[in-house]
Amino acid sequence: MSLTSIGGDLLGTIPLGDIVLYLNPLHLFLFVTIIIFTILIAISRTETQVEAMFGSLEENKVSVGMKEFKHRRFLAIICGLATAGAMITGDLFNFTLFMALIGIVNIGIVSAVKQIDVLDSAYQYGLIAMMCGLPLFGGAAIILASTGTLSLFTLAAAPTVAPMTIFGALMMLVGIAGESGIAPFFATKAEMFRTPGSPFILIIHLSSLFIIVRSVEILLIIIHVI
Amino acid sequence: MVVELVPQYVPAFFQSMYTPALYGGLIVAFIALIGIAIQKKDIHILILTDLVGLAMLIVVAAVGTDLAEALVLPGLVVELAEIMAISEILISREMRKIGPKQSFIPSEFSLDMEIMHTAPNFLALILIAYGAFLTGFTGGAVAGGGIIIYVLSRKARGLPIAVVDGVGGISGIAWCLWIIGFVLFFAVPQYWLLSLFLAALGLFLKVASKMGLMGILMREEFGKK
Repeated sequence: MSLTSIGGDLLGTIPLGDIVLYLNPLHLFLFVTIIIFTILIAISRTETQVEAMFGSLEENKVSVGMKEFKHRRFLAIICGLATAGAMITGDLFNFTLFMALIGIVNIGIVSAVKQIDVLDSAYQYGLIAMMCGLPLFGGAAIILASTGTLSLFTLAAAPTVAPMTIFGALMMLVGIAGESGIAPFFATKAEMFRTPGSPFILIIHLSSLFIIVRSVEILLIIIHVI
Repeated sequence: MVVELVPQYVPAFFQSMYTPALYGGLIVAFIALIGIAIQKKDIHILILTDLVGLAMLIVVAAVGTDLAEALVLPGLVVELAEIMAISEILISREMRKIGPKQSFIPSEFSLDMEIMHTAPNFLALILIAYGAFLTGFTGGAVAGGGIIIYVLSRKARGLPIAVVDGVGGISGIAWCLWIIGFVLFFAVPQYWLLSLFLAALGLFLKVASKMGLMGILMREEFGKK
């Protein structure tokens, strides 16, 4: 079975009606790591950015106000929890919903910054994330249409893979790439980081890294490569 | 759609509708993407991006099972949340560009219509009362239209407009009412009338306050030459 060849031995399942959560070492590792990072972020304080002034010995400190700090910490924790949920879920559509939630929260974290160019790139990222909602949800819907289920556990046990399922998986890949801001869409997301308030900004990056690892596993399960 | 998954009693006509619906959704998305490529103004791009989101709903709804129906609602909510977040970004960017003090409807506004001077308050009142009578989503939309007419008429007559900052809070509390009503449906079904009215009132307040917020969107185009 392909589940065990990717994520390690199956430690157990949590049957919740139609949705069956399954636990294996990969999921548990990712889940625990992201929870630890979320706790670290929840108890940390923001950094103060120090910019050297050009042509003098002065320095310019850019810090984050208390209100903005609380706002960002809340959204960063939500982002961490959504990532943790995406790590452990056994349902394809729940994964896409967690993914979309991460996208929204990522926009929210930078929504209160004062730099106009950061807001501009957040706006561009938001547009890309919204457009990529079509391949993300549409891909999941096509997989549902061609296999009749959204449970990864059942998908992994399916005897054959229809061409339509592979098409759906490819659409999901496009959607994941856009929502998490990897290769073709990375430019705007990298610009979003250029603002003070480091640990909270970092979860934007961290969540997309984790999501990519999990989505690779999910897509490999769906198209039965391994 | 895999044929053996579909139950026998589903007519062949409904089964054959999946492919046209899927293509239809993809074509709508493609047209919207062409529109996004052509448009220059940010607000227009945002509106057209919502069209791509609607195409996503078409693709999901094309599956046509009850599971797909259960997926349409979260898809719609995610879509709305994203467009709210992005428009919030757009507003805060434009506000930062033009400075903090702005009126509710900042642009030059001339609506020299008789209806704006004679009885706009009465009209707004009737709309709000009728909306309260309707309750639910439709009633919220009607009452929100009443609020917008009231605001527009004040603006057209050159009177100041009081911006209520707590409108978003009302919307949130109304949402809680809706959820409480929904939970009561399952917890104590014998009080179905109470929960129905809670849900209807919550939805009414929520939609009405959301429609009242709409004028804020006008602020961001101001000052853009």
